Amino acid sequence: MELIFWWAPLVWLVVMAVVVVTVVIVLRRRAKARLRAPDSSLPIAHRDRLTALPGYARALRRYRLLLAGFAACLVLLLVAAVALSARPAAVASVQPDLKNRDIVLCLDISGSMVDYDKEVLEVFGELAEQFTGERISLVIFNASAVTRFPLTSDYGYISRQFAELSAEFDSETADYYSGTLFGDGSSLVGDGLASCAVRFDTPEVERSRSVILVTDNLVAGDPIFTLPEAGALARDKGVLVYGINPGDTAAKSYLANLATEFRTVVEQTGGAYFSLDDPETIPAIVDEITAQQAATMEGEPELVLSDRPEPFVLLAFLSLCGSLVLGWRLRR
Amino acid sequence: MTSLLRRVKTTLSIRAHRRVRGLLEGEYTSVFHGRSMEFDDLRPYIAGDEVRDIDWKATARLGVPMTKRFIASRKHTILVIADTGRNMAALAEHGDTKRDLAVLAAGTIGYLAIRHGDRVALVAGDAEHTVFVRPESTEPHLERMLQRIDRNTTTDAAASDLTKQLEYAAKAFRRRMIVFVIADDRELSEPEQRLVRRLCVQHELLWLRIGDADIMRPEWSGSDMHDVHDAAPIPAFLRESPALRAEFAAAVRASAARSADVFDSFAVSSRRVSSLSDVVPGLFRLLEVHRHARR
Repeated sequence: MELIFWWAPLVWLVVMAVVVVTVVIVLRRRAKARLRAPDSSLPIAHRDRLTALPGYARALRRYRLLLAGFAACLVLLLVAAVALSARPAAVASVQPDLKNRDIVLCLDISGSMVDYDKEVLEVFGELAEQFTGERISLVIFNASAVTRFPLTSDYGYISRQFAELSAEFDSETADYYSGTLFGDGSSLVGDGLASCAVRFDTPEVERSRSVILVTDNLVAGDPIFTLPEAGALARDKGVLVYGINPGDTAAKSYLANLATEFRTVVEQTGGAYFSLDDPETIPAIVDEITAQQAATMEGEPELVLSDRPEPFVLLAFLSLCGSLVLGWRLRR
Repeated sequence: MTSLLRRVKTTLSIRAHRRVRGLLEGEYTSVFHGRSMEFDDLRPYIAGDEVRDIDWKATARLGVPMTKRFIASRKHTILVIADTGRNMAALAEHGDTKRDLAVLAAGTIGYLAIRHGDRVALVAGDAEHTVFVRPESTEPHLERMLQRIDRNTTTDAAASDLTKQLEYAAKAFRRRMIVFVIADDRELSEPEQRLVRRLCVQHELLWLRIGDADIMRPEWSGSDMHDVHDAAPIPAFLRESPALRAEFAAAVRASAARSADVFDSFAVSSRRVSSLSDVVPGLFRLLEVHRHARR
């Protein structure tokens, strides 16, 4: 329990001291001013006729009890008011959680990659069901990048889009690649990454931004951005790039230098690089990516003060009720 | 300064009291004068006259009941002992000031006495002073006496202490007198009881008790109230409880009954009055009781 306005009780104390002193002074003066009863007061004699009665003592005792209870209620009310004015708060050290991630899935849809893309979509489709607060966007690229959908937290929509794209991958007729072939060549990874890196809206909001780039980095053609340039762009924008490279295997050792370039670029942005042979391992990789994101996102534990007025509000309410009831009994 | 005596006379002559006044005169006469052997004159019968004083022959002759009057064997001295301490400046049971009741009672008795040629004296005072006004039989004298009671009885006066006045009366007067005490209705302390016993041997003692304010009176429950003794307030919140009111009323009744018993046990005629309108009938009853007590 912590007080946000810790000085409020001190102010109250000073105010109460002033009030008490003033009242005492005024009462003293008044007591001095009149030792006599006021003129409107009825003069009677032999009050012991009344005060000696046992009923009188009883009534007086009852009255004093009521008065004491009333005073206690008022004191409690005052205490509650002082406490409330000081804003009691619960201290919690909070790790900034990852509910504010923006993830752009950046899928290379050149023919060799489709199987891996499907696996990634499936895994993210499942993940999306558990997300709260994260936003996901899906960008596919070949020669040019197409935004299937921008960053959104509408998880039902995301799942549907994933399912739709997966179905299109499987279908003979669907032209899922439409719009991706406008560039000079195919599988222009640099352009694809650059496109994904600028898909983040709200650059002023503090969110974690990451791109999951699924490609074999087998570029054919003349890209506008080379992969390192695109990586630099991503780094400038504070975007982590996680690379998943199905081409980086012993079987395709001719691609080793491409894989190395990919790895270098990805690691320069602060992301991580995964090579894989088998689409089946993608869930594990996605887990790892999200875990890594968690690790990188986990900042300093923050002290969070949240107002906890409830006990004092309850106390104030009860003491107010008590004083009202006792006050009513006193009036009778 | 209004004349207190005139006020007394007015009170005696208002319609409601006119009958009682006659009764009172008759009662006074028969109590304190009785019959001497010396016949004085005849006068029309007044209710309250002794039936055996009626002169039947004269009545038959004149057609109106006539009463024989006798020359009083001697002049009496009525000594009024009044408490003028500040307790008597408090309210009486029904809201009049006890002082006003005392003045009316003293005035009525004094007036009757003067009309009968008796002399009236006063011993009045509080815990600190006792004043004695010599016996005389004139109206200005009675007026002065009443003024003294009226003036001295204020809330600024010293506390009441009837013992002082009783002691004074017991010591100062050898001659037998009719002593008429006006005090409040509280139970007598042990020394006071002794003095009363002594006084009623020396003198002929009548005692008028003025009932104290009904503290629990519902009409007063909203007003402030204080004890004249020390200006201590009587808290209003306690004066509203019906249970306490009943208990108080019972206690007051019991206390009044106990005082009455004490006076009865001393064979002193006493009467309790509680308001101004109660004074004249109360005095009448007191005299009546006294007359019966003497026989």
